[in-house]
Amino acid sequence: MTNMTTLQRHRALTAIWGTPKGWRGTISSVNHSDIGKRFILAAFAFFAIGGVLAMLIRAQLATPGSAFVGPAIYNQLFTMHGSIMMFLFAIPMFEGLALYMLPKMLGSRDMAFPRLSAYGWWCYLFGGTILIAALAFGVAPDGGWFMYTPLSSKAYTPGINADVWLLGITFVEISAIAAAVEITVSILKLRAPGMSLDRMPLFAWYLLITALMMIVAFPPLILGSILLEVERAFDWPFFDAARGGSALLWQHLFWLFGHPEVYIIFLPAAGVVSTVLPVMARTDILGYGWIVAALLALAFLSFGLWVHHMFTTGIPHMALGFFSAASALVAVPTAVQIFAWIGTLWSGRPELKLPMLYLLGFFIVFVLGGLTGVMLAMVPFDWQAHDSYFVVAHLHYVLVGGFIFPMLAGAYYWLPHFTGRARVQQLGEAAFWLILIGFNMTFFLMHLTGLLGMPRRIYTYSDEMGWTWLNLLSSVGSFIMTFGFALFAIDVLLQIFMSRRTRRNPWHAGTLEWAMPIPATAYNIASQPQITGREPLRDDPDLALKLARGEGYLAEARYGWRETMAVDTTSGAIDHVVILPGNSRLPLITAAVTGCFFLSLLLGYYWLALLPLAGVTIMAWQWLWALGARSDVGPVSIGCGQSAPVHREAHGGPGWWGSRLLLVADGTLFSSLLFGYAFLWVIAPNWPPPALIDGGVIFGLIAGLAVLAGALLAQRVHRVLMTGALAIARRIMRMAAAAQVVAIVALVALGITALPSPTSHAYAAASWALIVYAGVHAFMALFCAIFLHARIGAGYVSVARSQESTITRMFATYGAVVTIIVLSCLFVPMVLT
Amino acid sequence: MRMLGRVTVGLWLWALAFSLLYALHGIGCAGGWHGWPLPGGSAFRWTMVVTWVCFALGGVVVLRWAARLPKGLERRLATVSALVGLAGTIITGSPVIFTSACV
Repeated sequence: MTNMTTLQRHRALTAIWGTPKGWRGTISSVNHSDIGKRFILAAFAFFAIGGVLAMLIRAQLATPGSAFVGPAIYNQLFTMHGSIMMFLFAIPMFEGLALYMLPKMLGSRDMAFPRLSAYGWWCYLFGGTILIAALAFGVAPDGGWFMYTPLSSKAYTPGINADVWLLGITFVEISAIAAAVEITVSILKLRAPGMSLDRMPLFAWYLLITALMMIVAFPPLILGSILLEVERAFDWPFFDAARGGSALLWQHLFWLFGHPEVYIIFLPAAGVVSTVLPVMARTDILGYGWIVAALLALAFLSFGLWVHHMFTTGIPHMALGFFSAASALVAVPTAVQIFAWIGTLWSGRPELKLPMLYLLGFFIVFVLGGLTGVMLAMVPFDWQAHDSYFVVAHLHYVLVGGFIFPMLAGAYYWLPHFTGRARVQQLGEAAFWLILIGFNMTFFLMHLTGLLGMPRRIYTYSDEMGWTWLNLLSSVGSFIMTFGFALFAIDVLLQIFMSRRTRRNPWHAGTLEWAMPIPATAYNIASQPQITGREPLRDDPDLALKLARGEGYLAEARYGWRETMAVDTTSGAIDHVVILPGNSRLPLITAAVTGCFFLSLLLGYYWLALLPLAGVTIMAWQWLWALGARSDVGPVSIGCGQSAPVHREAHGGPGWWGSRLLLVADGTLFSSLLFGYAFLWVIAPNWPPPALIDGGVIFGLIAGLAVLAGALLAQRVHRVLMTGALAIARRIMRMAAAAQVVAIVALVALGITALPSPTSHAYAAASWALIVYAGVHAFMALFCAIFLHARIGAGYVSVARSQESTITRMFATYGAVVTIIVLSCLFVPMVLT
Repeated sequence: MRMLGRVTVGLWLWALAFSLLYALHGIGCAGGWHGWPLPGGSAFRWTMVVTWVCFALGGVVVLRWAARLPKGLERRLATVSALVGLAGTIITGSPVIFTSACV
């Protein structure tokens, strides 16, 4: 405890953590509460746009032979509806909730990489704007939200519609990967002292698993989007069957992402259920350990289902059997959670408050969606129902039931936290019934239209088909549902602007987010608690006051540092103090430059795109340079009579963790590329290729030896740094950089001299893609080497402050490994044939 | 993080088994292994079944290892993961016995 009064501490901490008022604050804020709220508001705005598109779809289908919109517009409507809801609403909405809520629930003051959060936000905003602008200009994507080739290839979509999707979504996915890394590191490291993994709130477990899934699931789609865009822009035939490509490769890459995506959307919402439901039932959650085990099982099994979206593509029976069995099996861990929730309700004294109403709606809708999911997992049924409205009904029951109903429960549960105000009575209940009745009227009937044979995505139908009344009633239901959502929005606005103030912790919850003033201050909590159980507020009802009085860790506001505690990932023991970066315009500028890169590609100015690409590299340098210190600080006092090192002088700081996770995502992208290369060799038509790699062994050897030398020198630099010989370390770093330059030149030379033209055959295109991948990573290792060289020279690196050297070593080693694998992929087939 | 690794060993093994079976299926069908007769089936069938059985046995080993971890959440998670991994390997790999090879 320090000598400050509570008010003095509040003012001092607000001065450090706060955001300037006005537009300067808006563009420079990196505070997790600000960014989280922006994500949530923008996601809701995109949800409204997606909802309007759904209304237009239902207006068109309400009657047979409707002339409301033509097929071209209709294709854009359903493609954008799906894309917006999946990429611009569901994922960002959960990211926003995670960014806002996680540090508060974990007893921390911010996320691990505040500037990355802000960068992700701006990328999301710019990427989403590109997509919506395309809609306004009538050039929106129109090939369906999963963009199947060859429909989305240049031959059948010659305009920029598909490019808008490929580039816009990839831009938005940068935001998703950034958030996933951010969430993972924050949960693993930035918890209150004593919060071991088994004391962590279940919501954090759900988000941890979800974020790890995102790190592995998104790269295949990013790769697929890059390959398809390269095919469209430069005619590299990855998906063109006539030249050895395969349309099925796109489907594999898309659904490798697409099916885990369903769980990525569901799990955070299930986390809301596991948080809100025990509070509503006034008891503890039943089966904490079982739920975590079910989550782990879900996370893994969900990656073994993707082919069930491809059951009708002619895949052999045995493979169908693998994926059908896995699709049925995944229902088990989902059911474990459902039973844990029912058991919690059974053992508690549930109160039928508004969040509970939405949870009951979730149970009904999601279980129905899950059951039709098991039906579709059975191959014979899927063959009958595939691409019919039955599937449309199923996916809406799963996604609306599994995401929107729990999120609405969460909205009403946490709104007092955001606003500090109580809600207006009865409006929310009316909204709930409109949404529930409207939803079931809309989508339950679609099961029937589907079973009657109505295919999805048709823009009109004739009266003789017998679908007229069902479609009309579906359309009426959808408008009822819309009234419900509009009422929800009005309810929220009334709560924000007109409602009375509410007390702290209105639900008598036990989790830490309620141990702070509401609405939350910029710094969350004046001091960080020592955690001894899963529900700290229930264990100590006066905890909030004690923390405000500074009776915890880091109560002292000093040097303008944004400090928060980092702990051991498993035990929650104190590890070090993280000093987070403050407000900055760098995220906005970097996102703008990144946006220019994507816009250049979208408009076909490919050479011009190199300019913003160089800009991004320069911004990355600026970004990294702004961190660190030129002198050692040593252990600092953290209160409670203890001290700890700062993150710069500790092993395993956030930067190290973030880099590792980034490489995991990168490695998944590389694995997907290898899968694509192998898939084309084994499955695609028109193989073997007319020409294989011819020569280039010398260049290959030079490239391999150079990257190995680069990696070994980076290892050597780290060892030398540990002895304090900085001048020698700089000399070795120069040699490491030179080795990476040699590797890049050799790789380019290998491609130019030995590989056939990339437009000639998918083999050549895939081989070039591998070389480009290796070259990019040699460049990244080169960047790290030059950066470390400069940092040592500027005094930012010492024996104690050696993390940057560790990260340089990590990137150099990764680059060497992937280059060796790439070279093996290029030369082994030549040897074998 | 190591703890997370330990508690998911069984699931990693399932993921490896599943990926390998699917990869072998693709390579075997493309390579015509189902046309190479062996006693009791074809080279393709034998490859698939032996791989499946090996991974199932591996799952049993992981299960026994998990049961010996220190008591607490870690052991519970590792044991359940090992059980799920083993059941997953047996169930999702079972089509290697009774489905047609490459049709």
